[in-house]
This record gives sequence, structure tokens and C-alpha cells, in this order.
Amino acid sequence: MSFGAEFLRHPDLFPGRRSGETWGEGSVTLDVPGGPYRFSGLAAAQEEALRHRFGGLCRPAGTGGVEDATAAGTLVFRAPAADFLEIDTRGWEYALDLDPAPSSLRVAGLRLMARLDWAPALAGGLWTPEAAGEEWTSVCENYLRIVVAYRLLAADGVVLHSAGITDGASAWLLLGPSGAGKTTASRLCLAAGAEVLSDDLNAVVPGEGNRPLVARLPFTGDLGERQGRQGERETWPLRGLLRLRQGPREELSPLSPAAATAALAAASPYVNRDPFRREPLLAILEGLARAVPAWELTFSLEAGLWSILEGLAK
Amino acid sequence: MSLARLMATAWRQNLLVSVLVELTYRCNLDCFFCYNDLGLRGEPLTREQYFQLFAELRELEVLHLTLSGGEPLAHPDFLALGARARELGFVVRIKSNGHALRGELARRIRDEVDPFLIEVSLHGATAATHDRQTRVPGSFERLLANLAELRALGLRVKLSSTLTAWNEGEIEGMLDLAGALELPLQVDPEVTPRDDGDREPLQVTPSREGVLRLFRLQTERGRALGGEAPLPVRSADEIAPAPAGKHCGAGSAGLAVDPFGNVYPCVQWRRPVGNLHRQTLKEIWQGSAGLAEVRELTVRAAEVVGAHGPRASLLNFCPGMASVLSGGDPLQVYSSAVQRKELLEEVLAEEARRPLLPVIF
Amino acid sequence: MTAITASTVLRRRQDVRYRRIEDEAVVLRQSAAEVLVLNGVGASVLDLADGRRPVSAWIDALAEEYGADRETVSRDVLEFAGEAAAAGLLEPVPGIGEPG
Repeated sequence: MSFGAEFLRHPDLFPGRRSGETWGEGSVTLDVPGGPYRFSGLAAAQEEALRHRFGGLCRPAGTGGVEDATAAGTLVFRAPAADFLEIDTRGWEYALDLDPAPSSLRVAGLRLMARLDWAPALAGGLWTPEAAGEEWTSVCENYLRIVVAYRLLAADGVVLHSAGITDGASAWLLLGPSGAGKTTASRLCLAAGAEVLSDDLNAVVPGEGNRPLVARLPFTGDLGERQGRQGERETWPLRGLLRLRQGPREELSPLSPAAATAALAAASPYVNRDPFRREPLLAILEGLARAVPAWELTFSLEAGLWSILEGLAK
Repeated sequence: MSLARLMATAWRQNLLVSVLVELTYRCNLDCFFCYNDLGLRGEPLTREQYFQLFAELRELEVLHLTLSGGEPLAHPDFLALGARARELGFVVRIKSNGHALRGELARRIRDEVDPFLIEVSLHGATAATHDRQTRVPGSFERLLANLAELRALGLRVKLSSTLTAWNEGEIEGMLDLAGALELPLQVDPEVTPRDDGDREPLQVTPSREGVLRLFRLQTERGRALGGEAPLPVRSADEIAPAPAGKHCGAGSAGLAVDPFGNVYPCVQWRRPVGNLHRQTLKEIWQGSAGLAEVRELTVRAAEVVGAHGPRASLLNFCPGMASVLSGGDPLQVYSSAVQRKELLEEVLAEEARRPLLPVIF
Repeated sequence: MTAITASTVLRRRQDVRYRRIEDEAVVLRQSAAEVLVLNGVGASVLDLADGRRPVSAWIDALAEEYGADRETVSRDVLEFAGEAAAAGLLEPVPGIGEPG
């Protein structure tokens, strides 16, 4: 199927440039790893909805972004509902259509069209008919996940489908696609007194001496912090990686750097589908696989999962 | 009795004949030299406001209505607006990049809008050049395929191009391509700054030799056709009128409207003379102080141009362009206009020296 | 085409677009991409060709508008109406005032 055909009534009219009619004069700047991220051209209701959704991660109104040349800016444009095909979302697994190119990325999805252009700094455009509420924040969040993944990649980091678990001093990343057990594993650790950063997406960023750090992302499934807390610690040293499987009995086996790299690649959403960024991605992931230990963990619901992790740490 | 004289009357008497409406600045291509001011913000006109505008234009007896953009097909109400324009009896033109003009959309345009003409942009004779300017790979091949489809649907199409440093070596090829497609090709010899004054597009200003080559080709091809235009699809407002005491019809016989309701004397002269969110088109047409000033300026522009001697009509000078290039003075004749006049004079002199009949020894 | 008479009812063809400028009109035939200029009589005839009134009503209206004698006006109008029909600007309305 050609790009956009699943989502768009007129894929031929997909925006070729960042232009159109914006929703309003509002803007929100988010301090999320890889940021800041500035959304502008917002209607008042859209701005309000984003501030409600992202809470403490939003810079106060009237500050930040305009002067910040490092911000990844996204203009939000109106698009008519008629531009998008109706999709029966019952039982539908959320998906996006991505079309990477050397210096751009086109995105088509549920009631959204977007493009990222590196010209040379990253600039984004988002076209949606959603003017307010959760429908709007959902569109924005699905777009933002992609921008964060690309921004972090450019900064030698990576976004991973993972559960991030911390004891306060350091963090583990439990890797796996949907259904692997990230949320289940997170609940088990939570019950044992650990903190869950996110049961869906976490970031790894380079720290001092290139030691990898886990950074919290506001993208969660059922568990984790979606809004950021003022004055909270932002990063935790990465202790290790576990590729999750569910099974009748616990089993732990070390992963070779190659296997760990493969697990990381499978867990790197969006950018792992981009052939133009495959090399830098693999270089980062290989470095990560060599920097921290990795295991494949088969666990059951009865597992003292957290105690397994604590045992590995000793 | 002539069309030129009639248009001169329209200019003198401020009779609105042609209106160009930029429906949206959204576009599915990314042409390097696009003149749209992408930083412009405002409240887009609603469908009802467009219907109201069209009704007023009907009352003012406007003849030509051009739907433009950006890419006008990307406007959510394009088909409804086009159909209404057709219902009201305008001569409807669509300025499109042609990229989406195929399949169901093309058929619906034919059936529901029934435009008099679709003007489609061609940027080169090769994919390398055309796609370089549009910055969308594959756009050239797509355009050729769509042109074939449009012709099969019976839609009238004209190709338009702008001469640039990138395509100036392909003009002959582009004319040949147009000939093979049996479509007229109009080439504008001038790259303009963006409507916000940004001069980046001028980086691809064609060379003197490129402009000269274009003028020679156009003269040669016109001669080969026995002096006839390829297809008689020129609009009334494109025909240079008889002396009217004004340099052009901007604000006198024509107007342009942007997606936010700002009204301008023409698509090139970006001095807003009113806004449709605050006034009706009639109120602006009849009472705008800005428009009155523009009309006066076109009188003075005629005097400025007239001072360039007997061949002054060759000075393709635009007060709107002058305003941008000079930083605000619409009467300052800019050097590129003078240069083009000189080149035209050179080509006309060459023509004059040609023997009328082949010399047979 | 059968000759146009005073009882013929004509209308502007669907693809005709025009604008009056003073006494004249610029006319565009959409289907043929032709641009024409019509003089006062021609422009007035286009205005009057609404598909309801016969040519005789046009003659009456124009004779009054121009203050001219009806016979002269009738000759001019019938001649122009015939030319306009032949040029594709006007067409008879089927079933109404068929030419005799």
C-alpha cells in the first residue's frame, strides 16, 4: 500500500512543506528529554489541553521557546476531518505510516499528518482536525513520540519500548514489544517497592564518560509518571537490560552483545524503520549493548521479579 | 471596438473584472522559489464567507475568478467553492501544481467545477530539473502522467513556468515538451521575492543570456506559428490594454484575496487594502482609502513608465514588485525590468533585420 | 439552423460568460476558449436573452432604450441574433416559440 493510503483520503495532497493555516496563536514548550519541544499555532483549547496533559513538563505560559534556538519547533495546522479515512478502532492496534527520506520524514496516522524536515535543524509540521480535548492530545502525543525518538537519536540517545524500573539509585530497562509483559513485570516490581518510570517508553541518553543513563519519558501505558514532578531527579544510571518473555518458570540467560543489540533494535520504535538512520542507530545500540550487561529473562506471575533484579545487581 | 480598449475602459472606470483567491497556503510540493508568505497568520475564511464573497463578486459583475494558493485543491472546501463559482457563472481558472490532479479528484473537478482553464506549473524539461525546483522526487513523472489524464478527461490545461537559473538551459526542451503534449506554455521571465520580502528565491534569478534565449525562442516560435498564439486561451486581463491612463489594472479591474481575508490590489502587490472579516468586498471596493491610493499610484506609474521613451510598453514593470524590491516605493523602476526591456529591444531589432522573404540566389 | 424570427425564444448558451463594460461586453465561450467583444446592441441582447422572452420583446426594449425606430432595431437585432446563434452564443429554447 502506498504511503498514506490507509489513513488519508487524498494521499496526493499530503503536505510537501510546513505550510497551511494554523489553529491559533498559542504555544506550549515541553521539557522532555531531547527537548525542548515547542508546539505553536495552537488554538486556546489545544494549548489548555496540552498543559493539562503534560503538567509540570510545560514551561509556564509566555516563557520559553521563541528565543530558544535549540527547541524542536512544530507548527500545528488545520486539516479537515474529510482528509482522513474513517477507521474502526475497535480491535485496531495503533499504527502509523512512516515515509523516511534522507532529510525528512512523512507521517500519516489516525487523524494526523505530519512531517519532520531537517533544514538543517529539525522543524516539524502537524496537520490535524482535532481542535481540543483528549482527541487532540492523543494526536499530539503520537506525533511527539516520533519527534523525541529522532531528537534523541541525533543526540546519541535512543527511545526504547521498555519498562523502566528504579530503586532510586539506578534503573533497569525491561525490553519487549506489546504483549511481552512489560506492564505485568512493572506491576510485580511496583508491588515489591520499586518505582516504575514508564511501562511503555523510556529513553537512554549518554552520561558522563559515555555511561548510559535512563531518562523518564511522559509516555506510559498503565504505569508511570506522565506529567513530570517539579525538582525530581531526571536520569538514573542504567544498570542492565532484560529482554522479557513470559513462561511457566523463571529462567535467566545472558545475552551476547549481538543479541542484545538485536533486542534493542527491535525495541527502538520509528527510527528502526528508517533506512537512512540505520547506521547511526546501530552504532548507538551496539555501544549500549557493550556498556551494560544484558539478559533474557523468562518470568512467571509468581516470580519475585524485583528480587531477581536485585540479585543481578549484586 | 477591441478587447484591449474595453479593458482600458475597465481600468479607467474601476470596473472589477478579475479576482484571484488564494484559498490556502497548504501545498503538496515545496517549490524553492514559491512566493507565498508562509509566516502569515490569521483567521481563515469559512465556506459561508467565501459564498458571500462570490455572491458579491457576482453583483459586481466580475467575469474571471481564479482559485489559487498554495495548492487550492488542498482547501477542504475546494470542490464546493469551485461548484459555487461555476453556478454563479464566473470564468473559473484553477492554478495548480498538478500533482494531485488525477483519478477521482480530476473527474470531480471536471464534473462539479467545470473550469475554463487549469494552469499547471512546469519547472523543467527533465525530472532532474523539475524535481529540483519542486523538491519532491517523482513530481515530474507524476505531472506528465496527470497531464495525459486531464487531456483525456477533456479538461483545458495550460502550462506555466518561471524562468530560473536552474531551467534556463531547458527552455527549448520545455517548449518542445509542451508542443508534444499539445499544450500552450507560458514562461514568466522573472523570479520574484517572497510576499514577505524574503529575497531567497532571487538566488535562482535567470542569467541575462537565459532571458535573451527565452525571448528569442518565444519570438521564433511565434513566427513559426504565423504570428498566432498557440491556443486562444488568454484571459481578457492578460491582454495589454490600450492606453488607459494607468499602468495596470491592479485595484482598478482586479483584486486578490489571501486565505485570511486580506484583500490586495493584485497577487503581486501585497499591500492589504481591507479584510473580509471586517468589511464586505463591496465596502472595500467602493470605500477603501488604500485602494484609492493604489489607483492613484497606477496613474503615476503610467507616467513613470511613459518617461522611458517610445518603447516604454516593453518595460514589464510591476509596482508590487517595485514595492518589495525598493523597500516600499511602488514607483521605483527596478533594474531587472530595465534589463528585460533592453533585451526585448535587442530581440525586436534582430527581428527587424530579418529578411521578409527567403533570399534566393 | 432554422431562421430566427421575432417569435423565437433564445437563451444564452450555458457556457457563455460575459461582462458589460459601458456599452459593450467582453464575452467568453467556455467550450471554445474564445474571447469576443460585442457592441451595445450585442451586449444588450445578451442581457435580454433569458430564455423566457421572444426576440420581439428584445426589439421593443431596445427600441425604447435607444430611442430608435422599431424597424431599424428589428433588422439589427434579428441579424445579430442569427449571428450569435451561429457563433454558439445563443440557442433556441426547445418547445417555446418555435420559429415559424
